[in-house]
Amino acid sequence: MSKVDKAILDKQLERLRGDKTLLQAFVDVLSMDPSEEADINRFVLKTVMDKYDEIMNCAENDIPFMAAYFANCPEIFTAMDVPWWIFLQTPFLGVSSPFLASDTDETEKMGLATDFCTVLRLAMFYVEKNLTPKPAGLIALLHPCDGTVVIHQAIGKTKAWHDVPVFGADSPYWDDERTYKYYGEETKRMVDFVTQCTGKKLDIDRLREVCKISNQTYQLWADYNDLRKAVPCPHDWTIGPPQCFALACYYYPGKIEAVDWFKKLVANAEKRVKAGTGMAAGERIRALWFDILPIMWQFDISPWLEQEWGVNIVMNMFGYTPYEPIDTKNETTMFRGLAKRSLSQVPMIRQARGVADNFLGDIERIVKDYKIDCVIWPGHMGHKDGNASIGMMREKCRELGVPFLSIGLDLFDKRYTAIDEVKDRISKFFQASGLGQKK
Amino acid sequence: METKTKSRVLQEFQEASKTLMNPALKKEKDKGAKIIGYFCSYGPAEIITAAGMIPFRIRAIGSTGTDLSDAYLSNINCSFCRNALNMGLAGEYDFLDGLIVLNNCDHVRRIYDNWRRKIKTPLVQMVSLPKKISDPSIQWYYDEMKIVKKAIEDKFNVKITDDKLREAIKLHNETRRLQRKLYDLRKKDNPPITGADTLAVMVAATALPLKQYNQMLKELIDDLSKSEGVGKAKARLLVIGGVLDDPEYIKVIESTGGLVVTDVLCYGTKNFRAEIDEKMKDPIAALAKYYIADRPSCPRMFGDQLRRAQLVKDLVKEFKVDGVIGQRIVFCDLWAGEIYMLNDDLKEAGIPFLKLDREYIMAGAGQVRTRVQAFIESMGR
Repeated sequence: MSKVDKAILDKQLERLRGDKTLLQAFVDVLSMDPSEEADINRFVLKTVMDKYDEIMNCAENDIPFMAAYFANCPEIFTAMDVPWWIFLQTPFLGVSSPFLASDTDETEKMGLATDFCTVLRLAMFYVEKNLTPKPAGLIALLHPCDGTVVIHQAIGKTKAWHDVPVFGADSPYWDDERTYKYYGEETKRMVDFVTQCTGKKLDIDRLREVCKISNQTYQLWADYNDLRKAVPCPHDWTIGPPQCFALACYYYPGKIEAVDWFKKLVANAEKRVKAGTGMAAGERIRALWFDILPIMWQFDISPWLEQEWGVNIVMNMFGYTPYEPIDTKNETTMFRGLAKRSLSQVPMIRQARGVADNFLGDIERIVKDYKIDCVIWPGHMGHKDGNASIGMMREKCRELGVPFLSIGLDLFDKRYTAIDEVKDRISKFFQASGLGQKK
Repeated sequence: METKTKSRVLQEFQEASKTLMNPALKKEKDKGAKIIGYFCSYGPAEIITAAGMIPFRIRAIGSTGTDLSDAYLSNINCSFCRNALNMGLAGEYDFLDGLIVLNNCDHVRRIYDNWRRKIKTPLVQMVSLPKKISDPSIQWYYDEMKIVKKAIEDKFNVKITDDKLREAIKLHNETRRLQRKLYDLRKKDNPPITGADTLAVMVAATALPLKQYNQMLKELIDDLSKSEGVGKAKARLLVIGGVLDDPEYIKVIESTGGLVVTDVLCYGTKNFRAEIDEKMKDPIAALAKYYIADRPSCPRMFGDQLRRAQLVKDLVKEFKVDGVIGQRIVFCDLWAGEIYMLNDDLKEAGIPFLKLDREYIMAGAGQVRTRVQAFIESMGR
């Protein structure tokens, strides 16, 4: 590799290496904790680091890898043995906080409207400024929001990625058999695209094995979610829904590592439920945080919620999805099952893509099943569809007899609504809705 | 600059663009005609016409606030949707017998959810519009068109035959041909009609009974063909962007001495650039092909940006345009991305480009005027 190439590559890997350093610090801290829960979390962090290593290795050694999403039927990538990653992982995880704010400021100079979702602006910034490794192909996400549709068109026009082939599977608006058939066919076209980009082919028998493992994973996830219904909830904010999502849908889709991890998680939760010991100290308010929850917000909000108010976020949008197993009988049933999972079941996509019924239905089921005391909609500035659902959410919560709070913030830029203001709004909400006083 | 023709029909078009319920529509409604609203220019107006009903594109013109809709939508939702839903909640859309909503953007698609829960329009139907242009997506939209057709037939006990559909397609195509003639007049060095008046004419097409509209438009074109021009413009402008149905906005742009001679708007060029194939055996197949593949696309259609940018560049040549204005309603992600991409395309082509963010309800006219003035000056005009 030439010196110039190495310089470009170093730049492309700069953020990944930075993230890894930070993650290593978290792992080191957790290593001092001998508990089972710390061990469970350590595995997740190491998994994230492994993903960085895998992609960096591909970039350094010219191994084709794909940029894709958790809603692109990732079991297929496992079956094809294709390395892939979500290139907006860096802002999504929020682990890169030392440069996240300055990167966000830089996005403003690109000329993309500042009311455009910050995480997508950051993704565009990383591509345009060559701060992310270049994939062999990009699989765009055409749902659940407008931002994803346009940002992938824009990325395809950048100098850095103008020669990266792009494919987007067209996603209908419904949740019915016609939709799954159509999307299943689109997914088959995606497989052809991945083959063109990487030279790897899909073996249907291998896909069947992967789907079977994936089904086991999702069954264990469902078992775990059932355990979280217990009062007190076995786990606190440090462990649970985000990790389940990350392992099942992204890092180990259809891989035995996910099954093994979930088994440990379930066993740990089961033990706690039997003993009646929740991790959250003095769980008094059981909350549903109905949106995504990046790591950096968790550190700012979740410990404060627990310590000051006795709040345990028992469930969030990314942890809850009523899955059904993929029928592995034949190719048609598998693609149908993968399509259904990708459109109607995967978190955030499930709630945000189609009509508001899933959105509201999930709130109702979670509130009832998890004995929820209040629903918090953070109102991320990029989630325009969700923010157009606040009236419906409020009415649904009123019908269920639980208080509802809509905040209005940017989950990727803490300056949009300052943390103190968020805390103030939450505090006033708890006081006004009779959920008690500060501890 | 102003349109010199003082024709009666132009005034009627202007009136129709300023109100929801215009006199012609009211007359038809009083006679028992059914009116079906639709939220987007991808909406299948031809099917509504074929059902013997009047298609009416939803606007929020005349809205005085969002007090009612603020309970349902947030302040980061598009002001067009907030105002339109407010009007619906206030009963100003009670004259509708039905409403067709498409998942054309994140804001509008939630209007469907809110509308069907809160507003008692007899038929509220959602259409799943594909996001790609391909044979399978045309087939998908074909099926969606059939679903809409059946929903209208079942709800109102009417039969929409293929013959009626063909007749409706002919009628709508006639509108498209007339509108193209109107735009052709604007190619002149001294066009006989302003951009503001043209927009009024185009908006009226979505609010008047179409046969009547076509007759009126023929009259107007005759008048304008004989009329003198609006005067020497400092610069010939092209406007692109999201939903723009208020001629006052164009009037503010033109108050600077610039003249809007064409556009890429969903009330404008996009509606007539292509026609529906009248020779196809299956009229619904012709509709699906037109809406998905033939018609200039909206930024929500993935993978078609190059063609969209090319259309802008083609129009710049055809209409001898000096500069392009890209307007966007704040919080519209689709147009945020499109304008971002187009910026590079136009820079590369050496075409001056001004980006304006706005609210649906005309506000900040002074600021718009100042920015357009500066833009025209920057072009050395």
